[in-house]
Amino acid sequence: MLLNYHQLGSWKWFLTGFTVLAAVFLLLPILFIIALSFGSSQWLVFPPPHWTTHWYRELFSDPRWLESALTSAEIAVLVMIFSVVIGLIASFGLTRGRFAGREALRALFLTPMILPVVVFAVAIYALFLRIGLSGTLTGFVIAHLIIALPFSIISICSALEGFDRSIEDAAVLCGAHPLEAKLRVTLPAIRHGLFAAAIFSFLVSWDEVVVAIFMASPTLQTLPVRIWTTLRQDLTPVIAAASSLLVGLTVVLMLLTALVRKGMKS
Amino acid sequence: MAQTVYSAAGSDIAQSAPQVKPKRQPNGFPAVVPALVLIVLFFVVPITALLVRSVLDPKPGLGNYAQLLGSWTYARVFANTFEVAALVTILSVAIGFPVAWMLAIMPRRWGAVIFAILLLSMWTNLLARTYAWMVLLQRTGPINKLLIYLGLIDHPLAMVNDLTGVTIGMTYIMLPFIILPLQGVIKNIDPAILQAAALCGANRWKCLTRILIPLALPGVAAGALMVFVMSLGYFVTPALLGGTSNMMLAELIAQLVQSLVNWGLGGAAAFVLLIVTLAIYALQLRLFGAGRLSHGGQ
Repeated sequence: MLLNYHQLGSWKWFLTGFTVLAAVFLLLPILFIIALSFGSSQWLVFPPPHWTTHWYRELFSDPRWLESALTSAEIAVLVMIFSVVIGLIASFGLTRGRFAGREALRALFLTPMILPVVVFAVAIYALFLRIGLSGTLTGFVIAHLIIALPFSIISICSALEGFDRSIEDAAVLCGAHPLEAKLRVTLPAIRHGLFAAAIFSFLVSWDEVVVAIFMASPTLQTLPVRIWTTLRQDLTPVIAAASSLLVGLTVVLMLLTALVRKGMKS
Repeated sequence: MAQTVYSAAGSDIAQSAPQVKPKRQPNGFPAVVPALVLIVLFFVVPITALLVRSVLDPKPGLGNYAQLLGSWTYARVFANTFEVAALVTILSVAIGFPVAWMLAIMPRRWGAVIFAILLLSMWTNLLARTYAWMVLLQRTGPINKLLIYLGLIDHPLAMVNDLTGVTIGMTYIMLPFIILPLQGVIKNIDPAILQAAALCGANRWKCLTRILIPLALPGVAAGALMVFVMSLGYFVTPALLGGTSNMMLAELIAQLVQSLVNWGLGGAAAFVLLIVTLAIYALQLRLFGAGRLSHGGQ
């Protein structure tokens, strides 16, 4: 009866109320930033005395914001491409390979996801200082790739494990080259895994801040670094405007994911 | 199918003629080489180098560790870190369990709404969320104003630059990480077990404390350990909401390296964090098996 919503009796109202409160707790800060970004108060008085788009204009009139957003996008797209390609190839090896230490290797590939980012950030920063990659685009892409790869491998591996390999074998038996069978039979079948890998990899890089703080140079800053350095000085509403745009991006990505999932089901 | 026919035929011939070897299957290792090279070069090597540095820099020996573990300043940092991580874990479980429970059994339509909110919160940029809490919790912020308006406090509470703010902000960030997996665990519990208990005369409380909670416990423990270990190494939120006087371990590591350029001590602190993290994951593996880390293994 505790696992049947309609048989909960008086508990139902208490638990539902609690869940609604928790949902409000999760949603409120996000709505709050959006409201704040349109508020006229420099000192973030809430509720705002007037409504304005001033902060958005200020955001767009400062070329440094746009520049850092473009840098972030460039890095994130590169990371996404490499992460999906390398992750796909590795996932084939991990799910179908027959070699000693396969499980240990899988664990190794997932380690960057569970270790505290700050440890990795300090370590890669030290290495990149030595080999001259700190503060370069290549450096950013490599560092973010290490963090993104586990997400890609998890998504693609689970898609490959759910794919019936005999379909690919059938294509080979019918005369397709093994590579052609992989490209034209297997890849379309696991496209939801590839899509998830791409989205996760993009987001991981786009939102990554810890490694970026260490590596950023005055000439190469990602958007999170720009927000971070501004936040350390003051809580200007310009950040609220930038954050609201980021929330907008999240919503777009979520809708896109939902659409793709729906499209794949039908 | 083809395999069995082949080997059956093979065993017949085996006595008289050398067995025909099946065409060698590629063993798949070359496929993992690019990822392996990348991980070894840019993950294993730099982290090992950092740890080596912690015992060599500035001079060989365990001096850095003695300094790190022997001073009150750093002891305070460790205490802050464990205190916040423990509090965040307790709060996340306390809030997360009922929500996960409801999410598992709620009517689909409402469940989808809650689910969307969880994803939105989880996917929104971390800095944006932390910024929201910095403003919400500040001295003149809406929460202090509301509490004063309600007559609950006379003077604004100092929640930013204080571990209170860090705890609230971190709990906010960790909640989805416990609700989502726990929801799956509760969904997999067979309702018939609770039905049976009710038929045998157990009341709601007994059903909850004797059946539902024990059955969900592995999920709760796994989620709690994950939240705890993530909180231990968290950098951004503690740094922004806690201020410099309430430092946590990740922030200390960053500061040792970035501001003080003390690579040896920073490396030692990183090593401590690394060991604690790995120890907790090892505990988790031992308690709950490898299912969570490497799914699909044999």
